[in-house]
Amino acid sequence: MHGVCFMIEVNNIRTSFSTGFIRRRVVRAVDGVSFQVEEDETLGLVGESGCGKTTLGRSILRLIEPDEGRVVVNGTDITALSRSDLRRFRPRMQMIFQDAYASLNPRMRVRESVAEPLKIHRMGDRAAIDRRVRELVEEVGLNEEHLNRRPYELSGGQNQRVVLARVLALRPEFIVADEPTSALDVSVQAQILNLIRDLGQEYHMSCLYISHDLGVIRAISNRVAVMLEGRIVEIGKTADVLDRPSHPYTRRLVAVPVRETPEPLESPVFPAAPAMVEERPGHWVEETTA
Amino acid sequence: MAKRTVLAASIGIILAYCAVALLAPVIAPYDPHAITGAPLCPPDPEHLLGTNDLAQDIFSRLIWGTRATLLLGFIGAAVTVVIGTAVGIVSGYYGGMVDEAVMRLIDVAMTIPIFPLLLILTTFFRPGIYITAVLMGLLGSFQGVRVIRSQVLSLAVADFVTGTKALGAGDGYIMARHILPNVLPLAGVKFVISAQHFMLIGIGLGFLGIGDPSVVDWGQMINRASQNGAMILGLWWWLIPPGLAVTLISLALAWLGYACEDEINPRLRLMRV
Ligand SMILES: Nc1ncnc2c1ncn2[C@@H]1O[C@H](COP(=O)(O)OP(=O)(O)OP(=O)(O)O)[C@@H](O)[C@H]1O
Ligand SMILES: [Mg+2]
Repeated sequence: MHGVCFMIEVNNIRTSFSTGFIRRRVVRAVDGVSFQVEEDETLGLVGESGCGKTTLGRSILRLIEPDEGRVVVNGTDITALSRSDLRRFRPRMQMIFQDAYASLNPRMRVRESVAEPLKIHRMGDRAAIDRRVRELVEEVGLNEEHLNRRPYELSGGQNQRVVLARVLALRPEFIVADEPTSALDVSVQAQILNLIRDLGQEYHMSCLYISHDLGVIRAISNRVAVMLEGRIVEIGKTADVLDRPSHPYTRRLVAVPVRETPEPLESPVFPAAPAMVEERPGHWVEETTA
Repeated sequence: MAKRTVLAASIGIILAYCAVALLAPVIAPYDPHAITGAPLCPPDPEHLLGTNDLAQDIFSRLIWGTRATLLLGFIGAAVTVVIGTAVGIVSGYYGGMVDEAVMRLIDVAMTIPIFPLLLILTTFFRPGIYITAVLMGLLGSFQGVRVIRSQVLSLAVADFVTGTKALGAGDGYIMARHILPNVLPLAGVKFVISAQHFMLIGIGLGFLGIGDPSVVDWGQMINRASQNGAMILGLWWWLIPPGLAVTLISLALAWLGYACEDEINPRLRLMRV
């Protein structure tokens, strides 16, 4: 290790989808994104629906192959790994999805779902795995009697706990949480949010937390990045960015009541990738032509 | 009729047919090929359904005929479902060029009508009943690949599959442990529906006189009966029983297929795939 070591270093990631059969259209979902996440830090990612948050999260983990760019996780350039090396590296970085129910195989019991990562990576014999499964299930606030249930026999919040247990089994260093609470009841949201935060600290995980709920972002993230049309337009300390927004889009985002997505802004046309300027220490804003 | 009654009845009928097929030597009073008295006897206690023009006992032939029909249907359906599931899963899971190639091939293959092709093949090569069953299964598997693949396409992008990939699981593991169990119900329905389809095709081949002549089958029975004027002479005991036997098993399989389809559809919806 040398110098300042970031847990995650994302460098100029671009991901595009081609759609349409006759007239192929290319959608630039992520268009040159760079940021870093420090050890034990949670970086929030906000932006309106369709701006590319999910695509960015998945591209970083190479669940979607990015077209371009580099991702370094704790010193390993994962964009350079071969497929089999990547598979061996995967336990160190995990992902949680918005729809907890869809994140679990409907035919698998909780016990099997939580044991699966341990079995895939041969982490212990049967007895050890069984012990660890019980431990994990308890850690996420479930108990013995849930072990034999299937996803449809659990609530959304309970399913999200199972997903968390499954992911924690591998003791990841980095986790991408893609709106893990937005599909849940308001009362349950807070519980799951706290659980993720507490376990995140306990397991020393760095986290990229995606949400369009500014309240959630305030509660969980140390820093926040604002995304607009595939680019990060502002990034900095959470309070700093949300209380003293500089980019016109962030200003609109902050002005609207929480839990409502703002009207899309008429897209500012940038001739080339605009540069980021440092407004205050650690608070970067994309230069606007306006 | 309540759904459950229909389901129970159809399963009962199918099981009964299987039992008859297995126990044919025990149940049938005569050897189906043996000459058992005078030809063209009407039903009497000795010959429950009379005898045919070769003086063979029609009731015994009806019992033995169950074997041919079930063999064709079930072997054919097994081939269709195994190929359909294997190719459908691999093609749908990987997508891309391989999938594209497989689908174009199937588009072309599907334009070939199964029955006429089978007619030609069996007329020229006179294959035995087993080869015919496998041939039917192969030809039917194109449709099977399609059905399975379309479900795999949505499973392959389901969050639980992406999540398992993120855990570091390999493609083979995901296909075997996550995709396959979730397409099994659909494969089961496909099996039942194909079996019904192939049994009818088998009867059709027999009726046209190109069945395997070494086996007793209902299609050939009907063929022989009508060629010998059973219809005109009013020999209903020769013509009607094999026809009824086919109709009943075909109905039972169709009912079972529909019932299972109803059963898995809400589950599929619940799975959001
Ligand atoms: N598989 C895909 N094929 C084609 N286009 C896609 C695909 N996935 C996403 N897109 C497009 O990429 C863009 C970004 O989508 P993405 O899902 O990353 O947005 P998001 O910020 O996560 O939105 P939300 O807040 O609604 O979850 C959208 O325009 C979307 O239509
Ligand atoms: Mg999203």
